[in-house]
Formats: sequence, C-alpha cells, structure tokens
Amino acid sequence: MDAEYFLNTGILFFLFGAVGSLIIPGKAKEYLFVLPAIGALNLIISGLYLSSGMEMRIVSVPISSALEFVFRGDPLSGFFVTVISILVLPVSIYSIGYIKTIGNKGSMGFLYNLFILSMYSVILSGNIITFLISWETMSVVSYFLVTFDRDEKSTRAGLQYAVMTHIGTAFIIALFLILYKNTGQMDFSSIKTLATKLSVDIKSIVFIFSVIGFGMKAGIIPLHTWLPKAHPSAPSNISALMSGVMIKTGIYGFVRVSMDVMGQGPDWWGITIIIIGAVSSILGVLYALMEHDMKRLLAYHSVENIGIILLGIGASMMFRSNGLYSLASIALIAGLYHVLNHAVFKGLLFLGAGSVMHAAHTKNMEDMGGLIKTMPFTAITFLIGSVSICAFPPFNGFISEWLTYQSLILGFKSSSMTSKIISPMGGAALALTGALAAACFVKAFGIAFLGMPRSRHAGNAKESPLSMIIGMIMLAVLCLVFGIFPNATITMISSSAVQLTGSQGIVTGNWFLYINDTLANLSPVSILITVLVMFAASVLFVLGVGGKRKTIYGASWDCGIPSLTPRMQYTATAFTKPIRLIFKRIYLPRRELRISYHVKPFFVKAIKYTGEITPFFEKYIYEPVTISIFKVARKVRLLQSGSLHLYLLYILVTLILLLMFGH
Amino acid sequence: MEYLQFIIIILFSPLIQGFIRKLKANMQGRVGPGVFQPYYDLVRLLHKDMVVSGITSWIFKATPYIVFASTAAAAIIVPVITTSYRFGMMGDVIALIYLFGLGRFFMALSGLDAGTAFGGEGSSREMTVTILVEPMMMLSIFTAAISAGSTNMARIAETQSIAYSPSHILALSAFMVAIIAETGRIPVDNPDTHLELTMIHEGMVLEYSGRYLALMEWSHYMKQMLLFTIVTDIFFPLGISTTLGISSLGISAALYFIKMFCISVFMALVESTRSKMRFFQLPSLLGGAFVLAVLSLLTYIMMGK
Amino acid sequence: MKSWIQVFSIIDFISVGILLTAIAMNAFRRLESYLRAYILNSWLLSLLIAIVAFMIGETHLYIASVTTLLSKGIIIPLLLKKIVRQMAITYDDEPYISTALSLTISGILVAVVYTSLSEGIFVIGFSKHVLQISIAVILIGLFIMITRKKAITQVIGLLCMENGLFLAGFSLTFGMPIIIELGVLFDMLMGVIILGIFSIQIKRAFASADLDKLTILKG
Repeated sequence: MDAEYFLNTGILFFLFGAVGSLIIPGKAKEYLFVLPAIGALNLIISGLYLSSGMEMRIVSVPISSALEFVFRGDPLSGFFVTVISILVLPVSIYSIGYIKTIGNKGSMGFLYNLFILSMYSVILSGNIITFLISWETMSVVSYFLVTFDRDEKSTRAGLQYAVMTHIGTAFIIALFLILYKNTGQMDFSSIKTLATKLSVDIKSIVFIFSVIGFGMKAGIIPLHTWLPKAHPSAPSNISALMSGVMIKTGIYGFVRVSMDVMGQGPDWWGITIIIIGAVSSILGVLYALMEHDMKRLLAYHSVENIGIILLGIGASMMFRSNGLYSLASIALIAGLYHVLNHAVFKGLLFLGAGSVMHAAHTKNMEDMGGLIKTMPFTAITFLIGSVSICAFPPFNGFISEWLTYQSLILGFKSSSMTSKIISPMGGAALALTGALAAACFVKAFGIAFLGMPRSRHAGNAKESPLSMIIGMIMLAVLCLVFGIFPNATITMISSSAVQLTGSQGIVTGNWFLYINDTLANLSPVSILITVLVMFAASVLFVLGVGGKRKTIYGASWDCGIPSLTPRMQYTATAFTKPIRLIFKRIYLPRRELRISYHVKPFFVKAIKYTGEITPFFEKYIYEPVTISIFKVARKVRLLQSGSLHLYLLYILVTLILLLMFGH
Repeated sequence: MEYLQFIIIILFSPLIQGFIRKLKANMQGRVGPGVFQPYYDLVRLLHKDMVVSGITSWIFKATPYIVFASTAAAAIIVPVITTSYRFGMMGDVIALIYLFGLGRFFMALSGLDAGTAFGGEGSSREMTVTILVEPMMMLSIFTAAISAGSTNMARIAETQSIAYSPSHILALSAFMVAIIAETGRIPVDNPDTHLELTMIHEGMVLEYSGRYLALMEWSHYMKQMLLFTIVTDIFFPLGISTTLGISSLGISAALYFIKMFCISVFMALVESTRSKMRFFQLPSLLGGAFVLAVLSLLTYIMMGK
Repeated sequence: MKSWIQVFSIIDFISVGILLTAIAMNAFRRLESYLRAYILNSWLLSLLIAIVAFMIGETHLYIASVTTLLSKGIIIPLLLKKIVRQMAITYDDEPYISTALSLTISGILVAVVYTSLSEGIFVIGFSKHVLQISIAVILIGLFIMITRKKAITQVIGLLCMENGLFLAGFSLTFGMPIIIELGVLFDMLMGVIILGIFSIQIKRAFASADLDKLTILKG
C-alpha cells in the first residue's frame, strides 16, 4: 500500500465516474459524484506520500519510437496533487446536491471527472509531450465547462477564454521548444541536469515566456481579463475548481520551469515577480471591490491571491539568486502555503455563492440581504471563508500571509539595493491588499447576508440541500484546521521547499512556528485559545457585574421616519463609494444622471442614474489590439479571393521560391 | 505574575481615556468630566437592559464579545512593563495588527447588520480609513523591525532604549498619524459626536446599548492604550524591565505611566488645536504620512541606522 | 563638543530635514506655507554648513554659511513676500498633479536616487548620504517647477534646486570657491527681482498670474 497504489486506485475511480456519468441513466447520476470524492480521498493519501519525499516513477507509455508519455512524482507535484484532491473531495460532495439544478447531468459528470483527471495529468507529467497534451486537454475540457450553460454570455466568455488560454499555450510551447532545441531532451529531469549549461540569455527568454504563458493561466495582471468572465459563467462547483485549482496549475508550471528545471537565475527574475505579484494583488482587489456580481467579485479576488502567491515565490527566487537558501525556503513555503489556503477558502466562497444564487435566484448582491436568517449554515461557512481570505487569525489565511510578511522583511538581507527597497514595499502592498480585501468582504457578506432582504426572492430564500452544506462545512473546518495546526502542513510543504532550495527554513515546535532569521514566533493555537478564553471571560464578567438583563427588541434607529424600507439600507455601490473616489485615477469612473420632469423643476417624474468604472485593461489594451488584429485579418482575407487562377498562381510562385531557396 | 501584565491595559484604559478628556477640557477652557468618569459610565451601562433591533442577527450580539476578546488577546502579546514573559511567544507585531483587524471586521459587519444608513456609512468609512492607514503602519513597523532584527515585540523593545535616528523619527511621525486615525480622534474622526456627518466609529456602535455598548467602548479604550504601548515599546522602550526583579518592575511601571501621560498630553494637544478634516481630504493627510513612512525606510537603507 | 555632534548624528538629522522640507513643498497649496518650507530649507542648509565648518575648522566655510543665511534665508524670502503681497495671491490653485500624487512621485524620486547612487561613488565620511540627499533635492525642485502653474511657485522650485546644487557641490568639495558661489547668488537675486517685475506686469496684462495664459501669446 504505497503511493502508487493509492494513485492508481484514485484514477480508476475518476475514470469510472466519467464513464458512468455517460452510461448510467437518470436518477442515480447525482450520486455518481461519490466516485470522484472517493478518488480524491485516495489521491490525498497518495499526494501525502509523495510530499514526504518518496519519489515515484509511474507508468511510462510509449507512443512511438521518439515520443512517450512519462509520469513522474516528486514532492512538488505531490504537494499540488494533495491540494487538488483536498478541494475535489468537498466539491464532489457539494455537487451531489447542486447537480439537481443542472440540466444535462450526464455530460456534467463526464466533463467534471475528465477535467480533474487532466489537472492531475498536468501536475504529474514528467516530460514535455505529456505536459503539453495534458495542458491542452485541461484547457479544452474547461472551455466546455465554461460554456456549459449555452447562453449568450457564457458562449462569449468561453470564446475569450479559449483564445487567451491558447495564446498562453503558444508561449508555453515556444519555451519548451527552446528548451528542447538547446538540450535535446524531452524529459524534465534530464533537462534539469543539462540546464546549467544554458546561457543566461536563453534562460531569460524561457523565463519571460513562462511568465507570459503560465501567467495567462494563473491570471496575473494584465493577462487576467478572461478570469472575471469565464469563472462566473461556469456552474458554481466548476467555478470553485477553476479558481481553486486550475489557476494553480499555472503556478505549478511556472515553479516547475523557472525554479526547478532551470535552476538558479539572476536577481531581476525574483524582483520582477515580486512587482508583478504586488501589482496583481492591488489591482485585482481594487476591481473586486467595485463588483456587485458575487461571482465576478470572487473571480477578481483570485487575481489578488495569485498576486500574493507570486510575492512569496518571487521573494524565494530573489533569495536563491543571492545564495540565501534558508530564506528562499521560507519564502517558498509562504507561497505554496497560500496556494493551499486559497484553494480551500476560495473553493468555499464559490460554493457558498452557488448556494446563495441557487436560493435567491440572482447573482446581484444589490438584490440580496437578510440571508443569514434563512440560510444560517451557508452564512456561517461563507463568514468563515471571508474571515480566512482576509487573513485574520486564527484561520488559515493568516498563516500564509504572516509567512509572506516574514519573508519580505527578510528581503532586507539580500545584497542589491533594489531588492532592499522592493521587498519592504512589497510588504506595504500586501498590507494594502489585506485592508482592501477586508473592506470588500465586509461589503460582500454584509450586503448579501445582513440587513433586510432587498428583493422578493431574497426574502423567500431557503437553505440549501444537505450535501451542499456538508461540502461547505468540510472546507470551513479545513480553514480552521490549517489555521491552527500549521505545523503538519508546513512539514508537508517543506519537502518541496527542500527539493527546490536545499534547505529547511522554519522550525516547528509543538505549538508554534519559529523563524530563526527574524526571531519571530507565532503560535496560532495559543491565539485561538486566548481569544476563546477572553470571550468566555467577558461573558462571565458582564453577567457577573450586570446580572440578568432583559433584551428588548425594537426597530433600528430611524431618526423618526415612520418605517425603514429595505431600499433605505446601504447598498454595495454606496459602501464602496469612498474607495471609488479615492482611487479615481485607477477606476476612471463615469456617471450619468437623467432626470425627467412633469413640471420643471418641481415635480420629478423619474430619475435615471448610471454609474460605471472604466475597465482599463479591456478598453485601452485589449480592444485596440483586437481591432487592429481584425483590420489586419480583413486585409489578409483579400488573399482568399476565391478565384481559381489566383490560387494556381500562388502554387506556382511557391514552387519557384522553393526551387531557388530550398537547398 | 508577569503573565498578568495585560491586566494593566484592561484596568487602566478607561483611566487614560478619562485623562485625555480632562486634558482636552482644560485646554479648551472647560472644567470637563472627571478623570474616572469612563469607569462610572461602564458600570452604569452594564446595569442596563439592552435594546436590540429586530433586523439584526446573531452577529450583532456576538460582536461586542468578539471585539473585546480579540483586543484583550492582542494585549497579551504586547509587553507592558516587562519583556521577560513567555506569552510573547504567542505572536508578533503582525499578529497584533491582524487581531485588531479581526475586531474591526466584525464591528463593520455589525454596522451593516441593523439595516440602517448610519451603520452602513460608519462601516464604509471605517474600512476606507483602514485602507489608507494600514500600509503606512506596516511600513513604519517594518522599518523598526528591520533595524531591530525581529518582528517580535519583546525583542524590539530590548534592542534600544530610545529610538534616535532620522529613520526612526520619521517612522514615529508616520506611526503617530496612524494612531490618530486608528483611535478615531480629531482630525480623522470626532469621538465626542453623534452627528451622522462626522461619525465613523460612533456610526458603527450607534445601535448598541447596555452591556454591549459597555464592551464596545471598553474595547475602544483598550485598543487606544495598546497602541500607545506599542509606540513606547518600539520607539521609547527606555527602562522596560528585562527581568522579573521587583525593583526593576517597579521602575518600569512608573516609567510606563509617565510615558502614557506624555502621549496623552500629545493627543489632547493635537485634538484641541485642530479641527476635523473633511473625509475626502484624508487621503492627502494619510498619503503624506505614507510618504514619511517610505522616507523612513529609505533613510534606514541609506544610512544604515 | 565634536564627538557630541557625531554621536547624535546631528548632520544626518539636518540633511534629512533638508530633504523633508523640500518634499513638503509639494504638499502645500498656500503660498505662505510654501514659502515657509523654503525658508526652513535654507536655514537648515546654512546650519549644516556651519556645523561642518565647526567640525573641520575651516573659517571660509563660516563665511559661506553666513552668506547663505543672509541671501537665501532672509533677503530672498523678504523679496518674495513683498512680491506676493503686491500680487495679492494666496493660493496656488490646481497644480497639474494632485497633492497625493506629487508626494508619491517625490518619494519615488528619492528611491531612484538612492538606488542609483548607492555604489560607485567614494566620498569622504559622511558626505555620501548628503550627496544623495542633495541630488534628490535637485530632482524634487525640478519636479516642483514642472508641476506648478504660478510663476512665483516655479521660481521657488528653482531656488530649491539651487539649494540642492549648492549642497551637492559642498558635499563633494567642502565648499565651492566663494567667487562661484557669490556669482550664482547674484544671478538668483537678479532672477527673483526680474521675476517680481514680470509677474506684476503679467498680472496687470492678463488679470491672472497663471502661466497657462501665456500660451495666448502664440502667433
């Protein structure tokens, strides 16, 4: 019973799930989702084995004399396998209940299992061909999942997603071609041993291509525009997987190519990544703040969290180029821990959003309200997800952000002046995004769940079915567990860090973490216990001093107005108005006010107010590029005139050219 | 025994608040309430019934306890009169700031819970001020931490007795502006008002009464005293006891109260000599303080001290 | 006394003070506060020269300090105040860039100067920091000139640049030759007087002190 066994068993379950969804009829299709759940469980165990350092060479399937599929497991892939599986398990259970609302259950099940399998395949690939084929499969299957609803918005979102992800894939193919041409090898481990002989220029080109190619999948600014359209269009359980793990495959690819296979690089690599991370995190959350579509808000937050992950990874690369290996290890652990945390809490939040949308029949936060009373379980799990994503103790987000802060402060120890300035500023950027994220989730949770319902549907909302609740509760519990027991998780991540940087950075005692280089301690368990004790103490104290007191229920303070209607509450747009004004140079907001009168100017008939922010990247970068591409395409179309004679002429000219230059 | 130094914060914070109020009154030519008035207020509130809005949920009732618990937990991390105690291992400055953030998150939620516009406005503005203040606060703390070699509060307090270097003075200035914003004092927010045009903190606690209000106010005083203590620990830890000897503890406690006195005088001065700023002028003020924090970092890098 | 100055890093403090007042000029809209920042800047500059003179013991530096104090700290400010009073303006409304943004850019300028000058310049003792600060002050003065609309604020930016230049020359050579310094000062003085005359004329002709209006003069 070792890693291989669990891996094979798990994969089999997924295959059964895929095939079964197509074959087994009608009613039972929902319960088929138990199969991927069990598969995921197996893979968690397998991933844990891998992370603990057992390398594993699995089946290698030859296609032809030159090509073969190679799968390989090492601590880094083991970690990512575990992350994927930890999310797949609760999401599958959630899907059992969620599927009831979906029309085409069979194809959903099939695509779902295939999607997950393709992600595993990407992570476990051992050579270029396997990687590329798995990557492409993953993109294609996710395209079908994005356009699952077959309505107009999903189709357009899917189209944009397909185009952009293929541009990214083009860069990835290019970089692999460069690697192959210069080393003559397909296998990752062979490339790694030969990579030390590559010139710095070639390495830098590969690095830049990997940033663009993998960054497109991960969703860094400015390559992120597909994310807020594609993730919300997919069904909610798929959105959870896409945001939770699919964009992480971009991070995996990047770490694999730039840190593992290519080994060390010059200083500016790490600094570039830190800057990209800081910019993505700040802009991501700024745009998230302005959304009132719940799923788009969460999608923009994924951009922000990828930025945070890149802060840690960039710091790690920077330390490695300076030879500070134990610091590099700490930074890498910070980044990878956040990969895990984000998968867990973002998955939870998307599942919660799905739950809410299912009950309130709307995506728009401005139509919700008061859901905490009718959907208590969804509310409390969403609250836990929100507290975790804002990185408050004692939940998991705090641990990874704490570790990221520590590694950024340590950036001071590197030698170049630029990194001495950029690292603490990265820390300031992290503080800024933390505060922005807190504002965003106060808005999201507060407007959607608290107060009075703003629409009839919201007033009639009912709690979700049991399987959905169980899925969400599992993730919420994981948020807490990863927050108060970081030691086990860090031990699991450490082996990947050791593999890549060759050193252990963090000491873990029984109850706390300890970083040698900054003499900083953190004991999340103690914090939790202290908070709980203080909570209890305060309850006892007020009861003791005040005695038993009545609670009288009345109306909210309304300044004497006869009755408060739900429309008098704060809206999401109003909540973020100060932020919109302060950052107006980034948002470029526009507003339009049209008032129609019965009798000017005393009797108003109707007021129409539109306000919007400028989608900067779409309008000023992507639209011009697309328009010019269309222009060029129109000109090229002239080549295809449909005339037979012209085509024959083309053939003649090509033959002549070949004759002249062919040898 | 040293584990109980946080009780000083819990017990004495209303006194500091009363003291600042008395100083303000004197500076403005009034007699003002007594120095112990906050204590009387708290006791009075604890003995009253609570009036709660029907629109609110369990979050409204749980928030006062959560805010109190997180602030008290933060008090445990900060060394008040001695650095030789094991609770300091629990967390560092970053944990401290995020614990404050936890309390603030729930306070903002409770503002939205009652379904009124006042609460919404208070929450919205509070979170906006936080956005402007956090980077500056983090950056000044980073500079201090980098120069002390650690983010652990006890360690920072032990490395120097008075922070005296251009970068530290700049960091201190930025941090004082941050404290004014965090404690909700003029020129950022007016703690004595109930007019909706000027409420930030008051807007969020508007719906609270009875023991809930007592806990919210008490947590506010505790947070204030804690922030003052952080300033003395990072920038003027002169005299803080590193052992558990009675005499060193006594000297440390006396010096601590003197420092609190000085900071209170400073806050009262600032409040009495300024008027509250328009909310949308705050980015200029806080942006300027952020530049100070950046300068402090740059100066430290350049001068090495 | 000398060791006291060194231990308490007085020189560092004063140089940072010079930098701070230069940056602060970005933050003020009222001409009076603006002018005060410049006055403080010049006084700190002369104080710095005096202290260095004390530490090294060269008397001609005392003369330089007193000259700076008189010309930049007293005479030019008085002139400027007179001009301002005559033109009856108090505000520099609407600079091209908002206060917050110009503060940020000043911070970035300082960072850029620090990173680019951190290596490769070997100067004596304390003067490396002072050199970096002086170049930062020059750049900030230039930046102020670019972003202001009123002629008078532009001139103050120019004067700030001149302060920075003087400090730079001073830190590299411990005192530019007096003749050159006197020459530059004289130019400054003439410049301010001419500016005053022109500003009043511009105001009379266009009824506004805004330099933007000068674009009307295009053919």
